[in-house]
Amino acid sequence: MFLIQLRHELWKLFGKKRTYMGFAMFFVAQVVILMVFRFSRASRGMGDLLENNGYDITAFLSPLTAACFTNFWLAYLLLPLYGSLVGGDLVAKEAEDGTLRMILARPVSRTRLLLLKWLAGAVFSVVLSLLLGLTGLLIGLPFFPWGGLFAFVPGELFAVFPADVGLWRYAAAHLLMSVKATTVMGLAFFFGCLPIKPAAATIMALSFIFLNFILMNIPWFADLKPWFLTYHLNLWQQMYESPIRWTRMGESLSLLLGFNATFFALGAAVFGLRDLKS
Amino acid sequence: MIRLKDLTKRFGQRLAVDALTLEVRRGDVFGLLGHNGAGKSTSIGMLLGQVWPSSGEAWIGDHEVSRDRSRALARVGAIFEAPAFYDYLSGWRNVEILAGYSSPLSQHRLAEVFEWVGLSGREHQVVRTYSHGMRARLALAQALVPDPELLILDEPTNGLDPEGIHEMRATIRRLHAELGLTLLLSSHLLTEVEQLCNRIAVLNKGRKVFEGGLEEVQRGQDWVFLQTDAFDLVVTRLTAEGLVVGARDGRRIALASGVAVSDVVRRLVELGHPVHGIGRETLTLEEFYLSLMKEAPCS
Repeated sequence: MFLIQLRHELWKLFGKKRTYMGFAMFFVAQVVILMVFRFSRASRGMGDLLENNGYDITAFLSPLTAACFTNFWLAYLLLPLYGSLVGGDLVAKEAEDGTLRMILARPVSRTRLLLLKWLAGAVFSVVLSLLLGLTGLLIGLPFFPWGGLFAFVPGELFAVFPADVGLWRYAAAHLLMSVKATTVMGLAFFFGCLPIKPAAATIMALSFIFLNFILMNIPWFADLKPWFLTYHLNLWQQMYESPIRWTRMGESLSLLLGFNATFFALGAAVFGLRDLKS
Repeated sequence: MIRLKDLTKRFGQRLAVDALTLEVRRGDVFGLLGHNGAGKSTSIGMLLGQVWPSSGEAWIGDHEVSRDRSRALARVGAIFEAPAFYDYLSGWRNVEILAGYSSPLSQHRLAEVFEWVGLSGREHQVVRTYSHGMRARLALAQALVPDPELLILDEPTNGLDPEGIHEMRATIRRLHAELGLTLLLSSHLLTEVEQLCNRIAVLNKGRKVFEGGLEEVQRGQDWVFLQTDAFDLVVTRLTAEGLVVGARDGRRIALASGVAVSDVVRRLVELGHPVHGIGRETLTLEEFYLSLMKEAPCS
């Protein structure tokens, strides 16, 4: 029965055109960034960087490198946007449309309903993150020869991997990216449980994320970084580090699980106390 | 079937429902009547566990809704004013989704209900293309699929055109006659309640001001219309003689217990008062409702 109800939640979520906005925008953004990267001086700049560090440009200017470069920016900016858009809609949009009242005339508990909705949101987050990885790679294939992975974030990350290692690191990074997407979705989901409009839930979640990001990047707050949510949201980036800091990754992962559980519990508590009227 | 005991709801300082106690018996078509904002929808919300009562209890069958909502609502269907659907999905999918929160579904049962409500052939079209009347029928379908014993209808004809209203009322009669459902109907339309219900409760400012059978309402206080000269003098004399206990409007009298109309006629003739017309009168629901509202005027 639970699985059937989850399937119904997925029908609702994936039946809406609005849900596909994220997929469509990611695809467009990936095509644009990859084309600019391929047909401008940007790829030469990256080549110079590799050569200056003693690497062969032809071995690393690959679909993996291009997709990694593209998805870094999308994961920072667009992934939270679409995660929170869907998360904010899950409860608040149904309350606004009146369908929530139709559902809650049924013998289903509010907590069970929220769990179903959260799980549907989590499925969306995982699919979004994995598709981001897959399409990034596929779009790059016709324009770059297959080769190793070069991951670079100024001042933070410089790593090169042969193609086989690069591919699994890339895949694992996107799997962890889905934890980020799910957490942001969960945050917006919590706000959506309050008696507010769906857009307000999305904006509140994004504001929370951006505020964390700003605080984390103030130089004088460097020592406080581990206290900010965004620091742990970027755990996927650690898959490109060499060696991988498994302890830090485990710490971030467990904290994010805790954040998710807290957001859900708070949402369920608030939603459980609400009076639902037309 | 339904028992409300001292059910009270406050929204901040505003008292929306004030110690509402009523009973809906199995097989009733029970009308919850009141002006807009009288507390009808809030009462239904509390009955469905959507609104938390400030105090009191709402029982459906043997289950108290706040404590045992799942069991209380297991055999309950509900239709709201302007029912909301997932407009981008088909009617069939909508019913599958909504009824799926009650119990496992069979495709056969779904087809049977779509046939019953008259949506066969249109069930796989997206709801966006449905008319108001079709949406009302779809609302009925989703309420009927889990095979309810009790159907709660909150202002079900609001927003429908005259044809749709006629159709919905005919359907409500069929629900009672063919399926034997107990129905709780909230409405501010007096004619609707008068046509459909056998028992009613009237709410005014969140308080119940009447509960009883519709026949009881129509009998009223046994008003007798009397056309005579010097009505006030006649009433004074008949009251003094213990034949009459009340009068209103300059043409209606209420007889004392055990007094027949013929007794009054005989006495008036003996006293020399002409009688131009006399007879028992039944109150329309509208007259009854207005008299209740006069007794407890809205703020």
